[in-house]
Amino acid sequence: MRKDLFASIGLLVLAAAYYLNATTIPTSTLDEPGVPGPSTLPTILAAVLVVIALTLGARALAAAPPRSRSSDDKEDEAPWPRALGILGIAVLYLPAATFLGYPIALFLLLVAVALYERKRPDWRLFAVATGGAVFFWLLFDIVLGVRQPEGLLLPYLQSFF
Amino acid sequence: MLVTTPLAFAALGGLVWGVLGSSMPGMSASITMALLLPFTYTLEPTLAIVMLASCYIGAEYGGSVPAILIRTPGTNAAAATVLDGYEMNRQGRAGEALGISLWSGVIGGLWGLLMLILMTEPLSRLALQFRPTSYFGLGILGLSIIASLTGKSLLKGLAAATLGLMVSTIGTDPNSGVSRFTFGSPDLLEGIAPIFVMVGLFAVTELMTRSGVKPITISGARSIRVRLPRLPMMRKIARAQAVGCGIGSVEGLMPGAGGTLASFIAYNEARRWSKEPEKFGKGSEEGVAAPETANNTVASTALIPLLSFGIPGSNSAAVLLGGLLIHGLVPGPRLFEENPEVVVGLYTGSFVADIAQILVGTLILPASLWLVNRPKPYLSGFILALIMSGVYTVHQSLFDLGIVMTAGLLGYFMRYFGFPVLPAVLGVVLGNLVESNYRRSLQLSGGEFSIFLEDPISIVFLVLAVMVVSASLFNEWRVSAKARKERTA
Repeated sequence: MRKDLFASIGLLVLAAAYYLNATTIPTSTLDEPGVPGPSTLPTILAAVLVVIALTLGARALAAAPPRSRSSDDKEDEAPWPRALGILGIAVLYLPAATFLGYPIALFLLLVAVALYERKRPDWRLFAVATGGAVFFWLLFDIVLGVRQPEGLLLPYLQSFF
Repeated sequence: MLVTTPLAFAALGGLVWGVLGSSMPGMSASITMALLLPFTYTLEPTLAIVMLASCYIGAEYGGSVPAILIRTPGTNAAAATVLDGYEMNRQGRAGEALGISLWSGVIGGLWGLLMLILMTEPLSRLALQFRPTSYFGLGILGLSIIASLTGKSLLKGLAAATLGLMVSTIGTDPNSGVSRFTFGSPDLLEGIAPIFVMVGLFAVTELMTRSGVKPITISGARSIRVRLPRLPMMRKIARAQAVGCGIGSVEGLMPGAGGTLASFIAYNEARRWSKEPEKFGKGSEEGVAAPETANNTVASTALIPLLSFGIPGSNSAAVLLGGLLIHGLVPGPRLFEENPEVVVGLYTGSFVADIAQILVGTLILPASLWLVNRPKPYLSGFILALIMSGVYTVHQSLFDLGIVMTAGLLGYFMRYFGFPVLPAVLGVVLGNLVESNYRRSLQLSGGEFSIFLEDPISIVFLVLAVMVVSASLFNEWRVSAKARKERTA
């Protein structure tokens, strides 16, 4: 019930933000009177989402509190702080790839995820991460011929030679 | 010559990846396909679609491996296989169960392919009669069905569909050329590609959800071998397979129903028609054959509404739709007229995959078991690396990775709060179809809404949409009234 209430509030905030941005959509010179323009569907969607959010919230408030632990809580799923950690590692990959380049960023990603998943740091971890980075670099850059981020470090180092 | 070497390799490659990927608990068929999707961007369209379809076929068998060996289905559709498959394992008959699963998968796959070939083109001819009003009605019906059938709450399904439609409005409006919700970013002018939303909502969300959760391993892996059924066993399970084929044919056509529902209904019906119903739940061979035949039939029949009308019937079909879209292919009658080689290639590739399943499924079992037993910290890292590398191949843009991460975050919270993901995916995919046909219809009528009532096809679709939503609302009210009665009793 509490989850539904929070979800309802989240949807209302989203709908409000979406609607506010929808009001800034410029009208087109191609618009005809009486015919929907580029802001029509966004406005309708914002209204629909508000209705859904309010109904969900009202239902959550009217529902009886659960007698025992919510059936929505699953023991085989990560709690949200832990789950966000994995996403954080993935997000950090972006600047790493930009500055350090693909192979190094990938090595760091593999090490970071393994440590985050509670693998003890030992030579095997670094060997697997190195092997993995080399494997993916070979697969994408060489076999598939798809360039991955070059980074700034390697060109900078190359400028000295 | 229908079967060319590249096509055969694409089918085999997709099949192998599908079996390997789905044998890992938590990696559903749609996630396995979503991980493959960015790779297919560099391939020729026909090969890309064949690879994805073969991956779907392989995934339906792959999901039964952990279902039988460790009581944990690799895909949702393999959940019914646990009931008797795991019992057979406990009786020391794991190899036999895997063999029945594999053989039933081949039968179901071939039958589903036959249905796909026979039904798709006639249905797509019907779509030639469609006007903008019909397409609008079809989009609304598709979204209504998916919102009603997936997840426990119609309200949450509709909210998810609305969120998906909202994402589809980002970018340049195709009708007027005006920018919407781009916040001045040139990367958003082309909108959000469904492929990135799918990879984020399916694969990244799953990684986040499973972080830190104790992994499951398969003990005694080295001694397990697939034992294909001999003629007497094939005859014994034939009736159950026929039931699975029938159920799978019907369920696959219904958007949102999918392999999971088909496999459970097939299990129940096979028990009803069996000569030994008392054996079900205690290691019945028919109890493995029926659901496996059904979910493999669905792997092909779920493509019928996709190829005919462009409405994906399942998560996996939605990923296949993503594959079609990134190659500029539009499902429907135009696909048959403008790109017949893609359709023929899909049929041929699926046939190759169905037949090759016997050999691949048998040979690849040791590799599947090895992969499942890898330490989870390494497995999670490799999957994340695959996502980051694969997504980058599409446009060579780190911005796309940002979209995938954002979709992953959204998907995680949707899952946390109990919102189904498929309606959101469908909203992103169908949003342009729904909006552009809505506006085109009103342009033709000069703003008169009566145009939607002048098209009989549109009326049928809109009435069906109302009926589906009403039935779902009634059902929810009935369930909550019953629960209230039980609480007060």
